[in-house]
Amino acid sequence: MRDTGVMSDSTLGRSTLRVRVTYQAALGLLLVALIIFFGLIQPVFFHPSVLFDATSIVGEIGIMALAMTFIITTGGIDLSVGYILQLSAIVFGVVLQDTGSLALAIAAALAAGACCGFINGFIISRTKIPPLVTTLATMNLFRGISFIIAGINSYTGFPEGFKKISTYLVLGVVPIQFFYFIVLFIFFHLVYARGRLGRDLKGIGFNENVLIFSGIKTKQVLLSIYTLCGLMCGIAALIYLGRLSSAKTSMGNDLNLQVITAVVLGGTSIMGGVGSVIGTFIGVLIIGVLRKGFTLIDFSGNIFNFTLGLILIVALIVFALLEERKKNAGRTNIQ
Amino acid sequence: MEGSLTRKRRVTREFTLGALVAAYIVFLGLTTGFGSTSGLFSMMLDVSPTIVGAIALSLIIFTGNIDISAGTILGFVGFVAAVLAKAGLPIVVWLPAGLLTGMLLAGLNGWLSVTFRVPTIVVTLAMNMVHIGFYVTFLPNAGWVLNLSDSFTALGQGRFFGLVPYIFVIAVAVAALFIWIVKYTRFGKALYAVGGNRQASIYAGINPDRTVLVAFLVEGLLLGVAGILKATTANRLMPSVFQGREMIFIAAAVVGGVNIMGGSGKLLGAVFGALLVYLLSITMIYLGFQDYFQFALQGIIILIAVFITVTDFGPARKLLGKAFRRG
Repeated sequence: MRDTGVMSDSTLGRSTLRVRVTYQAALGLLLVALIIFFGLIQPVFFHPSVLFDATSIVGEIGIMALAMTFIITTGGIDLSVGYILQLSAIVFGVVLQDTGSLALAIAAALAAGACCGFINGFIISRTKIPPLVTTLATMNLFRGISFIIAGINSYTGFPEGFKKISTYLVLGVVPIQFFYFIVLFIFFHLVYARGRLGRDLKGIGFNENVLIFSGIKTKQVLLSIYTLCGLMCGIAALIYLGRLSSAKTSMGNDLNLQVITAVVLGGTSIMGGVGSVIGTFIGVLIIGVLRKGFTLIDFSGNIFNFTLGLILIVALIVFALLEERKKNAGRTNIQ
Repeated sequence: MEGSLTRKRRVTREFTLGALVAAYIVFLGLTTGFGSTSGLFSMMLDVSPTIVGAIALSLIIFTGNIDISAGTILGFVGFVAAVLAKAGLPIVVWLPAGLLTGMLLAGLNGWLSVTFRVPTIVVTLAMNMVHIGFYVTFLPNAGWVLNLSDSFTALGQGRFFGLVPYIFVIAVAVAALFIWIVKYTRFGKALYAVGGNRQASIYAGINPDRTVLVAFLVEGLLLGVAGILKATTANRLMPSVFQGREMIFIAAAVVGGVNIMGGSGKLLGAVFGALLVYLLSITMIYLGFQDYFQFALQGIIILIAVFITVTDFGPARKLLGKAFRRG
């Protein structure tokens, strides 16, 4: 897949690390600056219930972004996350409506997500089709399937107990999905920074062939992380549904861009090989604050998407300048 | 990788695809109302922008890049042309303005990617959102232009002998021109070289960055043509209808045998691919499927086509013996 990004000496690794730590500090400062900025425009923003509401918005995006960090670290990408979430949500709605069993519906939604992820992972790991193209195609496929199942219907009438999973406020202010996010974040961070899987992921991003020759089953690693990403989309779908309380066929629009922006903003290289789950965490919070802030100052969702697109481009450029990648280092554009 | 040995097979593949498309049209014409004058006219009308767009995307894909924002660029092209035409300006103003819009936006994608070494997929994905956000937020009436005059639609609605639309002739001419350019010019060879093996192309004296940038500018020009061909067929313009067109273009290109990894494929294939994708979608409509089946169809088409192009059927070929052996 990639035959570039050789880490020739340890100094390179150290300097990259230093750049990254400074970058995350800068990112944290940006987050604080944004909160202050929106707070100055709309003082109500400083109110804890409003401020923490920003974290409820990112519950679903954050959980998908954690898995996406793994995928982008391998040099891959998953454009289909938004529509996996949509399909899981629709499956949940259909099963709940037809059987009336909440447990069955939850299981079906998670299975649908994992299944979609498995399809992505299977195609990507077993054929030579690049992740970008695979997920671009499956993105349309999952979107189409969710339309075929639901048509123009939307599914509502979820039990109150179910809605609690993402409307419950801890201590009356902090949305519970922030805790889901933190728990998953710690888990993903440990796996990424300490675990063997994390090392394998970075290895695949740098040079997959070396790992293959070292006897690591990269195909299985890829298959498992794409499936994991699908499962995370299923979980995100449940959390999203608890908040929205209706499953419809526009849920997945534009989510993939938000997820990718959070990951890239957090300092995970789109070329693979280096990344940070902590960065993703801060990136997700920044997106949450932006979205909440934009809602407060009456900006439409389109301006939010517009800004997000710009942020993604700027983040990419900043990274390109930071890393000062060697010219013509045999890069492959399409991944 | 693609040596002279495989050349014969490639010619055959495009020919086979062309024969398939022809048979498809005849078959559809015999069994449904498709063969009537209006059926053929609407086919040529609908497929013309797709042909030009598929060629545009193919040029980019040859170099190993991709453009997800192609659909929204079409929207901008249509908007600029329509607004200028609405203001009473003649065709010599709004036509070049539309083409220039396409070149600028696509050129920006190429420039960002080349200068900052960012993969085009991410740049154009972000640009896609920027474009949509821009025209919904900043353009008057979300970019809708209504009640366009006949002078604007003259290009899109005119037809030769009451059957062949002007725009189809233009699309075929553009296709012929670019098939020639890709086959016989230095630029055309450079596209394949950069996509096939970037490092080797540098040793061959090609500047890959410049080639990619020029490819994006040419793509923008072609998207400008496609956008104007599409926009002039109706007397009102909504940029949002162009969203997602890039999927059709990409599908057409890969169905036509353009390798998504870059470096190989033929424009003639992309042209037939455009026809085939259109015919498949029209068949879905004849079979009574709803609009939204198209999403799933596009996804499946791309996956199958890419799978066939990218996969090496070595073991399967060995198993099946000579019958499956190519060349």
